[in-house]
Amino acid sequence: MTRKYAFFPGCVLDAAAREARDATQAVAARLGIELVEIPGWTCCGASHVQDIDRETALAANARNLALAERMGLDVLTACSTCALMLRTARAELKNGRKSAVNEALAEAGLEYRGTADVTHLLWVLADTAAEWAPKVRKPLSGVRVAPFYGCHTVRPPEIMTHESHLNPRSMETVIAACGAQPVTIPERLKCCGFHAVFPAESTAHNMTASAADSARKEGADCLLTPCPLCHMQLDMYQPDARATTGKGGDTPVLHLAQLVGLAVGVERERLGLSRHIVSPAPLLSKC
Amino acid sequence: MRTITFAIDRFDGSRSWTQSFAFDHVPGMTVLACLIRIRETQDPSLNFTASCRSAICGACAVRVNGNAVLACDTMLDDLLEEWGQDTLRIAPLGNFTVISDLVVNWDEKIERLRLARPGLHARAEFSASGGCRQSPRDFQAIQKQWDCILCGACASECNKLADSRADFLEPFTFTHASRYARDSRSADSMLHVNGMLDNGLWKCVHCMECATKCPKHIQPVEDIASMRGMATAGGRTDGPGPRHAQAFRTDLENTGRLNEVKLVPRTEGLLSAATRRLPFTLRMFARGKLGVGEAIHLFFADNRPVEGIDGLRKIIRQRRRDH
Repeated sequence: MTRKYAFFPGCVLDAAAREARDATQAVAARLGIELVEIPGWTCCGASHVQDIDRETALAANARNLALAERMGLDVLTACSTCALMLRTARAELKNGRKSAVNEALAEAGLEYRGTADVTHLLWVLADTAAEWAPKVRKPLSGVRVAPFYGCHTVRPPEIMTHESHLNPRSMETVIAACGAQPVTIPERLKCCGFHAVFPAESTAHNMTASAADSARKEGADCLLTPCPLCHMQLDMYQPDARATTGKGGDTPVLHLAQLVGLAVGVERERLGLSRHIVSPAPLLSKC
Repeated sequence: MRTITFAIDRFDGSRSWTQSFAFDHVPGMTVLACLIRIRETQDPSLNFTASCRSAICGACAVRVNGNAVLACDTMLDDLLEEWGQDTLRIAPLGNFTVISDLVVNWDEKIERLRLARPGLHARAEFSASGGCRQSPRDFQAIQKQWDCILCGACASECNKLADSRADFLEPFTFTHASRYARDSRSADSMLHVNGMLDNGLWKCVHCMECATKCPKHIQPVEDIASMRGMATAGGRTDGPGPRHAQAFRTDLENTGRLNEVKLVPRTEGLLSAATRRLPFTLRMFARGKLGVGEAIHLFFADNRPVEGIDGLRKIIRQRRRDH
């Protein structure tokens, strides 16, 4: 397959979750997906800016979409919150805000037309699993993977329309295509706590510890998430969550692209697996 | 004949158990019709509440396979197709105290609803004789919030409430506060917002369950957002929530991208970043999540502005002028 997208990395793929960017680009190259980074893309607002300045968040994302449209490509992002913010802006622009926002975009020589769709790496990988599964060089047989979808991957369903928000299967499809075994945990569709880690720290820690603990109890080798924000919360804050709750602490968390990368034979050093706070070494010994 | 099974969570005040009820599939039944049929034909002791059968009284919300629905407004056939199985788990709403079977206690929720100061406290220009009118446009701004039927579906799967009811409120309470705070006739919007600020307005985790579950398509998460905006505009900018949001906006305007190194000090203060968060920071350095030199650069300088930053600033300025 050859597919080409305007790539919207999002801020954390350029910073603390750099390994997710490396893995995403390596996997895309291996699977024949061409990612062309949107020149001049900006922060999507991260589900925060719109609370205090709705117009700035909408205008920034309209600009992001207009830049992608100029490339003549649909947008692909590997972050669920970025996907939600961009798709929310798209919906608002479609529902009456387009002309007003275009007056602002015109000051920068841009125009939003509404031609570019916004998709998620997860959705592309799930939809094309039958095509790339034959490229799996190292089936992850015996590896037990607990999918953690992340709220913004499936909710709200009016915006995140790709699959059922009640009973999604995309993560399980990708895991199975890698030859691994999906393991269901109660937190599969729950929140990681990331967006309130400062104002509601104990809640965020409880959520993180709960997911990590459930994965361990169900015999999973790792949690798997398609969202780098969930990854940051579940991985980077797992030691803090353990310190306050006594649960979790040793459950590795993989980015979606890292799992696929392991299966399709991307060199491990290109997947950034050494950058995790919770070491995935026990898992890697099974791959 | 196809057989459908409802595995229903039962509770008699002291004992909990799950009881399965099998019945013949008849196309076109609602979940409520199924519950009524079970009570009429199999077990008259099954307890649930329902009244209007028209999705306007809000009495019949229950959980199906862990997700709140309005029983009278949900077709069994849709659920069977969604879940791909003929056995469904029926349970009382989550985040409520159960009284009996599928019946939950609303008393404590209504007491908490009072924190929103529900009720219109009209501006001085209005009077009993002159009336209290508003334009259709102003009413439209809050019309959706008036659709709330207090069914409780938005609270059932709220992830924040599931962790703690002590420092957060039911999403419908935020919606009720918002509809008065944003009412053009209100004398003092902050009268309704202040109670929310003191009870978790900035602690919403953005799980989006409230917006997903509301049968009237209200979005309490948006009501929370709008009141955060009102509070911030009104100068209530203290605390990690508003400072965190402000940090993102600052970065967006300054360079277009998030500066992760400045995020914690901006949110919690320099002292907290340098002491309480030190183990976290050292962990980041140790695993290569962040380079020491990179951190120093980002702290004292910043990200390089994105290509076209001047255009972005013009766009933002124009939108602010318009509002």
